[in-house]
Amino acid sequence: MGDYIVEMRHITKRFPGIIANDDVSIGIRKGEVYALLGENGAGKSTLMSILFGTYEPDAGEILVRGQEVHFHSSTDAAACGIGMVHQHFKLVEPFTIAENIVLGVEPEEKRLGVLPWMNMKKANRQISELSKEYGLEVNPTDRIGDVPVSVRQRVEILKMLYRGAEIMIFDEPTAVLTPQEIDFLLQIIDNLRRNGKTILLITHKIAEIKRIADRCAILRQGKLIDIRDVADASTQELADLMVGRQVRFTQEKTAPNFGEPVLEVQHLTVKNEHKFDVVKDVSFTIRSGEIFAIAGVSGNGQGEIADAIAGLAKIADGNVILNGKEINDLNVRERCLSGISYIPEDRQETGTIPDMTLQENLSLREYFREPFSRKGILKQDPFRDYAEKLIGKYDIRCAQGPDTILRSMSGGNQQKAIVGREIEEKSRLIIFVQPTRGLDIGAIENVHRQILEERERGAAILLISLELDEIMNLADTIGVLYRGEILKIDSADRMTTQEVGRYMMGVKEA
Amino acid sequence: MNKVFTDGLSFALPLLIIAVGALYSEKSGVTNLAAEGFQGVGAFFGALAATLLGPVIGNGNQAIIYIAILCAALGGALFSLIHGLLCIRFRANQVISGVVINILAVALTAFFTSAANSAISGNASNKFVLDVSTRFTIPLLSSIPWIGGIFTDMYPFEIMIAVLVVFLWYLLNRTRFGMRLRACGENPQAVDAAGANVNRIRWIAVMISGALCGIGGICFAYSMIGNFSPSIYQGFGYLAIAAMIFGNWKIGPTTLACLIFGLAKSGGLQLCIAAKLPSNYMDLFLMLPYILTLLLLVFFSKKNHPPKAAGEPFDKSKR
Amino acid sequence: MFLSRRLTGKYASLWVSLLAILMTLAAASILLLAMGKNPLIAFRSFLQGCGMIPKENYGGGSGMLTDLLDFLNYLAPLILASLAFIAAFKAGLFNIGIAGQMLLAGFTATVLVGYNKGLSAVVAKPLVLLIGLLVGGMTGALIGWLKYRFNIHEVVSTIMLNYIISYLTGFFINNNYVDMMTRNSKVCSPDSRLTLTNIMIGDLKCKIPLGLIIAILIALLVSFLFRKTVLGFEIKAVGQNRRCSEYTGIRVNRTILLSMGLSGAIAGLAGVAYYLGYTNTIIPKTLPGMGYDSISVALLGSGAPIGSIFAAIVVSVFQQGANYMSSTVGVAKEIASLITGILLLFASCGNYMKYKAARKMQLAEDLRRTEGKEAKAL
Repeated sequence: MGDYIVEMRHITKRFPGIIANDDVSIGIRKGEVYALLGENGAGKSTLMSILFGTYEPDAGEILVRGQEVHFHSSTDAAACGIGMVHQHFKLVEPFTIAENIVLGVEPEEKRLGVLPWMNMKKANRQISELSKEYGLEVNPTDRIGDVPVSVRQRVEILKMLYRGAEIMIFDEPTAVLTPQEIDFLLQIIDNLRRNGKTILLITHKIAEIKRIADRCAILRQGKLIDIRDVADASTQELADLMVGRQVRFTQEKTAPNFGEPVLEVQHLTVKNEHKFDVVKDVSFTIRSGEIFAIAGVSGNGQGEIADAIAGLAKIADGNVILNGKEINDLNVRERCLSGISYIPEDRQETGTIPDMTLQENLSLREYFREPFSRKGILKQDPFRDYAEKLIGKYDIRCAQGPDTILRSMSGGNQQKAIVGREIEEKSRLIIFVQPTRGLDIGAIENVHRQILEERERGAAILLISLELDEIMNLADTIGVLYRGEILKIDSADRMTTQEVGRYMMGVKEA
Repeated sequence: MNKVFTDGLSFALPLLIIAVGALYSEKSGVTNLAAEGFQGVGAFFGALAATLLGPVIGNGNQAIIYIAILCAALGGALFSLIHGLLCIRFRANQVISGVVINILAVALTAFFTSAANSAISGNASNKFVLDVSTRFTIPLLSSIPWIGGIFTDMYPFEIMIAVLVVFLWYLLNRTRFGMRLRACGENPQAVDAAGANVNRIRWIAVMISGALCGIGGICFAYSMIGNFSPSIYQGFGYLAIAAMIFGNWKIGPTTLACLIFGLAKSGGLQLCIAAKLPSNYMDLFLMLPYILTLLLLVFFSKKNHPPKAAGEPFDKSKR
Repeated sequence: MFLSRRLTGKYASLWVSLLAILMTLAAASILLLAMGKNPLIAFRSFLQGCGMIPKENYGGGSGMLTDLLDFLNYLAPLILASLAFIAAFKAGLFNIGIAGQMLLAGFTATVLVGYNKGLSAVVAKPLVLLIGLLVGGMTGALIGWLKYRFNIHEVVSTIMLNYIISYLTGFFINNNYVDMMTRNSKVCSPDSRLTLTNIMIGDLKCKIPLGLIIAILIALLVSFLFRKTVLGFEIKAVGQNRRCSEYTGIRVNRTILLSMGLSGAIAGLAGVAYYLGYTNTIIPKTLPGMGYDSISVALLGSGAPIGSIFAAIVVSVFQQGANYMSSTVGVAKEIASLITGILLLFASCGNYMKYKAARKMQLAEDLRRTEGKEAKAL
């Protein structure tokens, strides 16, 4: 057992209301890629945050290179050569790449003998050299706000290298990347391993583990389930271990039965606050019974397309036509009433009012009309009845029934509430943006089933997702968005994942 | 014309140091509407120190002013701890906290001024009478045509504030501390991941803010107002915040905004005097900075970019 | 544990308010003790000054009832002012400019109606209220408009307007309406006043505050608005999550305008109740301190309209009883504002108290659960 570079023994960590890690023990050998597999909320990130010093465990011990350590902050962990790339990048947008990399270990010198002064020129030079050495090329003086996600990730990796990290933790590093970028990242990780670094990889994607990892620990609901050599374990086996039951990988989809066009988007252009075209001349049509999916890397204008259709973003140019009628000049409420439902990307910021009750949140599309209110006066019973109906129908788990404060519910149940509320409107067009983000596999299956049911009902569905697997599984038609433009629209069965990935990176007709 | 510059600067510079104070707090991610209260309480401590020390080292001794400024800075910093406590420790709504601080400041200083006065002199007056700071004129520079007024009849604190603001710019933009402070206001999670203590940085920023506002307050008391009384609360703190907003949370443009306010104020007053209007009309000209502020806000507020994380308490467990 | 349970229960807000009052009384006691005064006597004097406990002796024509009516006369505008704060607060806006809106409405009504001797009481009193509503409402709406159209923070714009209004009305009073004796504005005609004066009850010369009736009426109306109407629901939605409100189809700009207009209108009522009821005159270039006290009241009442009536009583006791307390105990009457300020300070920590209590309950719950599990294992 002496050959472990990192050992975590009997780690327990509680948060109010949940046990995030329950007596977890793992050991990592120097120079291996060690994966932590588990669903959202299984406790992988918490375990690694403990190793990185963000949290202190309630019980258990950590050994690094055989020495017991007590980390009180990430500085302590960094001093032991541990670095981490978080799932949500910890970057300061108005700062340059170099400033972000040196933050916390700034190259401060004394000017005139007394005045502390940061020598950014030197830092820029060092970072340039470092980035070339590892094949992670970046321009140190670019602002983070101006560079794409894949570059930001490189910056996070460079941050670790700049601090001389030997043990590197990657938290869901591929979630935001295109297939080609994932290939590139896995190569980088492989490269790092060959340079003698030890890699810890948090993921719920088994395919990546199969490609890169040596060993794999499986966590479920805070407990360590098993540790396997990846070479000896099949994909199906790992998946079953992760979920704790048999997993269906794909939803059964009926043959398409398209009707008349429901939504026509013609030459849509949307500008951001800097008058920059974030959506450029986009046109597509969605027919009844069709799932039209927009694929693309985050931040390429997906959200703006959805907002422009729903009436939340201003249309700078072009037309949005619903059921044959132009709706450009209608406000949000009028668009809803003419048949648009919208499941937005951000549950807590856009989709709900977290400090209101579940019943109020479920009635957000209804409260202003009969029977919920009459002549501006709210009625009580219809709210409660409607909420109880939806709670039953969509299996929303809530501690105090309709009076539960939404914030106190789990993310999955909040999402059920939003999806239920929107589907219940029986709209002709339903927009789903990232409907499964942050959900566990059971909840994901559930949402996918509901999307397919709505398709069968004859709704037109606009699905916007960053998860390429989700798009490939559900879509009838795929449009690929790159820098606000749709580069390709084609039937889903005529496109491969690799092809879609290429368009996502802006490669036009090959 | 000279008078416009002279008076304009003596108003603009105390305003500037308050604005920079507010800026430090906001850049670190703590919304600061408490500048008004900070400057008042700072001025109170400064004036109290001057009143107590006056008889000891001799009234009229200009050294008292420097001691008063020091005490104002300390007092402002001390009082700002309440804002820090509410915003950083108790995670209260930072706008509410600012308003609470301002109301509390007025009540505290009013009560303790009369309490202190009745203890010192037996007379429960609501003001501390201060000497007016001496002024000086820089030879040569003051005889430059048009802008000579800048260097005429200056208060010593004007030079001090100007130097201090340059130093504060350097501290914010060229040092490790400043970089971390700015990062706290944009993405505190990044600072935490980099191993620095976000809340400690914010505490320091709020205290710097309190100290700077206190300096601004005592300078007003020593120049424009000539005493410490409830009239220290004339909305200067809010004017400074408005200047910071036009300045888009940058020290350079904020300086410019303060100068515009100062010149508008003194310009209006000189105009009133030049037109030989009755003293009642002075009130109309005293409104000018406030009206100008509203107008400027109308034109400049829309495109502003406040620090992204300002107003949000830092929560380590949030990702 | 007792407290934690109360602070997480159904009446949590009430308990927070009570706790804040207790803590304030404790702080005030310490302050008074430090000054060598007996806090109990001081607190009794506050109540005596408000006509809630009889004083040792009374002058001719006055008694406990006159004190109480004076107190109610002060209470009426304070309730209204705090309701004004609440109306904007529910939409997530901080109307710090209530003082200015009160002054402008009071000034306009004074000039237009108060100095118009020809109007009979039946015409003058409703006219005063109407002017209060309109002037206040328009000022409030202006702030709302500046907020959504130009993104000007309402705290800054209201303060700027406060000073502008203060100087502007001061200028007109000094120029046209000043009473040379008092240096304040000339008094209003009795017919226009919202307080009936010189009413004899027994041998006591009393003031009857009509404003109080209006205040209670408006409190009930505001309460109804936020509990039972679509508009109230929308204002609350905008206050809690502007982005989601937009997504739901609420016209956010219109809602902001309406709630600020409503807030200003109620502040205008507070202004006429104050200047044409309580004071009957305007001190030029002076904003009413009540504008800020209203914030303490609203926060102490946790933003509940009916709760703010009770909170206003608490704050009024200190403000209105301060004069008598000062004369009997010999502490500067400024202590009233200080106590109000401390009250505000504690009230603003309310959410933290609730948060702490909820955490404590959760920890106890976790402990119970793990213990239960261990017991089972054995």
